Amino acid sequence: MTQLTQDNSTGFSGILGKICLSPMGLAGLAILFLLPLVPPFNQDYMIRWLISGAIVAAAAVAFDFSAGYLGIVNFGYAAFIGLGAYTSAIISNKIGISPFITIFAGALVSAGLGVLTGIVSLRLRGMFAICFTWFIGIALMGLCLKLDWLTRGPLGLQCDGFFEGNSSLPYYYLILAIMIFTYLVLGLMIRSDYGLAFRAIGQNMEAAMTSGVHPTKYRVINFTMSCFFAGLIGGFYGHYYGILTPELLHTQKTVEVLVIAYIGGRSSLWGGIVAAFPFIFAMELLRSSLSDLPGINLIIYGVFLIAIMVYYPGGVAQFFKNLTARKQRSTSSTAQKAKTAEAGV
Amino acid sequence: MKNLNAGYGFLKVLWDVSIQIDRGEFVALVGPNGAGKSTTLKTISGLLPPQSGKITFDGQVINNQDCALNCRNGLSYISEELNLFTGMTVLENLEMGAQLLDDKNKMEENLQFVFELFPRLEERVGQYAGTLSGGERKMLAIARGLMSNPILVLVDEPSLGLAPQVTEEVFNALKVLNKKGVTILLVEQNVTKTLKFSSRAYILEKGEVVLEGPSSELITNDHVKQIYLGT
Amino acid sequence: MNDSSSAKVIEWLKSAGGITVTCTILVAIAVSFHKGPYVLVNTLVTGGMWALMAIGVSLLFGVMNISNFAHGEYFMIGSLTAYYIMNPLKQYLLETPNDFLSFITPILGIAGAAIVGAIAGIVTDKTIFAQLRKRNREGWLLNCFLITIGIQIILINVHMLVFGNTFKGVVNYWDVPSVAFGDVYVSVDRVVVFGIAMAAIVLFWYLMMYTSLGKKIRAVAQDENGARMVGIQVNGVYSTTFALACGFAALAGGSLLFMFPSYPTVGVAPLYNSWFIIILVGFGNVAGAVPGGFMIALFQVVTRTYMGEGWENVIPMFLIAMILIFKPYGIFATKVRSVWEQ
Ligand SMILES: Nc1ncnc2c1ncn2[C@@H]1O[C@H](COP(=O)(O)OP(=O)(O)O)[C@@H](O)[C@H]1O
Ligand SMILES: [Mg+2]
Repeated sequence: MTQLTQDNSTGFSGILGKICLSPMGLAGLAILFLLPLVPPFNQDYMIRWLISGAIVAAAAVAFDFSAGYLGIVNFGYAAFIGLGAYTSAIISNKIGISPFITIFAGALVSAGLGVLTGIVSLRLRGMFAICFTWFIGIALMGLCLKLDWLTRGPLGLQCDGFFEGNSSLPYYYLILAIMIFTYLVLGLMIRSDYGLAFRAIGQNMEAAMTSGVHPTKYRVINFTMSCFFAGLIGGFYGHYYGILTPELLHTQKTVEVLVIAYIGGRSSLWGGIVAAFPFIFAMELLRSSLSDLPGINLIIYGVFLIAIMVYYPGGVAQFFKNLTARKQRSTSSTAQKAKTAEAGV
Repeated sequence: MKNLNAGYGFLKVLWDVSIQIDRGEFVALVGPNGAGKSTTLKTISGLLPPQSGKITFDGQVINNQDCALNCRNGLSYISEELNLFTGMTVLENLEMGAQLLDDKNKMEENLQFVFELFPRLEERVGQYAGTLSGGERKMLAIARGLMSNPILVLVDEPSLGLAPQVTEEVFNALKVLNKKGVTILLVEQNVTKTLKFSSRAYILEKGEVVLEGPSSELITNDHVKQIYLGT
Repeated sequence: MNDSSSAKVIEWLKSAGGITVTCTILVAIAVSFHKGPYVLVNTLVTGGMWALMAIGVSLLFGVMNISNFAHGEYFMIGSLTAYYIMNPLKQYLLETPNDFLSFITPILGIAGAAIVGAIAGIVTDKTIFAQLRKRNREGWLLNCFLITIGIQIILINVHMLVFGNTFKGVVNYWDVPSVAFGDVYVSVDRVVVFGIAMAAIVLFWYLMMYTSLGKKIRAVAQDENGARMVGIQVNGVYSTTFALACGFAALAGGSLLFMFPSYPTVGVAPLYNSWFIIILVGFGNVAGAVPGGFMIALFQVVTRTYMGEGWENVIPMFLIAMILIFKPYGIFATKVRSVWEQ
């Protein structure tokens, strides 16, 4: 799952590396696959927590795809998730098509709005771009509340499930598949020349332009991809919970994804996945055990976010990178010592 | 200043640099590009915390002291980047330079003094610093640095990007200042001129002091001749 | 007025800023004729306070490069403080009427709100941003943005946890008859609140332009190292800036308590509004924040009047999105933009 082993291009890990996985990442995925089968995780509420984790993990990956590489925080991200969710739910309700198909319709609609946002926000930089996406999000949520003939507003929109029966297990494997799909597609994208262009634009737009990278194209592509997966995840969300409210589009939901993405580590993609499961799990545990203290889990969320930003801005991904980079550091410090010795002569 | 080591983050720029300046001296610090001259001044001024070593000023160790406090104690730093307040007028910039002075009369006096040094500034008191020409900006930065009645002035490459006669003007102004009893540490790449004006000099290469001595001796030194004077 | 200045005025009127201001005034007049002057009263009362909020956000951004998404929470702190000062006093006054006390109760509440907000701002700076300044200046803009989101989450939920998820408000400040402007009756509260906003704005302007503190703040905003080189203690200036910005937000919160009762997420709408204003007029444009505040207030009052509750965020948002497309740096955009673009 990690990109740590980019350098080894031979053998098994080399093949894995080509599809953006490492042996460690594969082991992690295997654990995620088996986890809901072993006690105590095989209880239904635990599986539900795992599903929450996987939803946020997938969303964090797609979020980091724009925020981490292009440097544009899509602050209306939840609205794109919500747009996909509502589109899928409405289509499957009105026409009666299977949710498996309609979630792609939802994803496409989200991607469509992503194209528009990407094109329209092209001239905007930094905070202006962030605020622009944010305003789109607020406006969408307002629309969602007001167009109650379509969305039933705050009453909530019922949607069909993917599967018959009460078990959450099939849902878990479905969202896991969506998460892995998201990660692989976006990871391969980052590995390609596109990734380089994204980074170049994110670091310095003018310089990227003068060296021949065309920001229009790449920004739009990036936004579209990110929003497509947002819509897909949203579609799953609706059909999994069975009811949609405009709350899903709220900035607070964006913040949840954003916190996980940044705790995971910016521009890593996989960091969000590593952070999401333990974090969401701990949050749910906290919420259920401290139910007389509402919001305490969110306070901890905030404290975590601030602490990470002040003391460890690279997040979990940085931690892993440091582990492997330690070797390099020690060689370079030897070089410094050599220079000292030389200077002493 | 003793055995100073300094740098940026993991990068080490200065390697055990020792410089000693007495009151009233005009000392020059010269060396090629990237030698660490600016880093030395930044570290002394307090903008950059040293990695190790000891900086003493007036008998006090000022190692981790903030730049603002050093300024209060009479140490004035005129940086390469000038760090002017571009959205303020020339006069406002000068007033900011004197903002530590309690005495209003003293400020007027200093203003007269810097206008004498740089008459061009007086003509442009109302102009925004961001719209001045390169030379005028440099003059303004130096003038601002002098507004606080400093004991020691650290000047970083005042000749950079200036026309020769303007450089001359600036150097003369520094000389006048030195005559008034202000200690000066001047960083320059223009070796010939600097050695002519200063009384003593240090030569810094790759973050180390390679030579030091009275300027008149250094100007005849073989190493200096070979590398800096091209003869 | 001589020729050159009238030419300047005409040129300004033709610019995007001039056109928008003119349109706003025309719309305001038209709406007041159609729906009655109370629309205008509400616009003025809330607009002044939104301007105050936006000035705070603008100040933090201009001086410290912090885009504060927790600014609404200082509004919330203000309204909470004002409530806990005014409510007990009003209860007490019910039993023991006292003219003087009932006169100064709202003043105490509003002043207390501003003071507590300013203190909260200083605490925020010292505990969080001073640490970040010391440790890491890389990616400052984005890190700070995320930190303020963290602050927002914490403050909202601490309010919920400690004070509960209820509406805490007062009905009015002073039990005195309304003031008549022609045949329009406006409650004293509204008049006073509008006055407070205007006074605070003028005071702020004076502070920034003519006092040594203001000059220091401007110096730090223009060149931090330059400020240190002339002996300004930048940490102190940063804390003061935070105190000012958050104090203004809390002042707005305390002053508007009679319209916006305090509850955990009461700050969200003011936050939206101050960011609309900033985007509309451009970052770091303190002078533009005042007309911007009234414009946004008018937008919202008008959409609420004509389209009903709930639309007031949708329509202005689309309008601002449109404005952004054509004027990417805001309608009063100036040439100074390098800092804001990172
Ligand atoms: N802000 C900085 N961050 C990292 N390295 C720097 C910085 N400023 C200067 N350096 C490095 O430190 C070295 C010395 O620079 P400097 O002191 O400016 O040299 P000089 O003034 O003698 O030309 C150079 O190699 C330069 O690249
Ligand atoms: Mg230099």
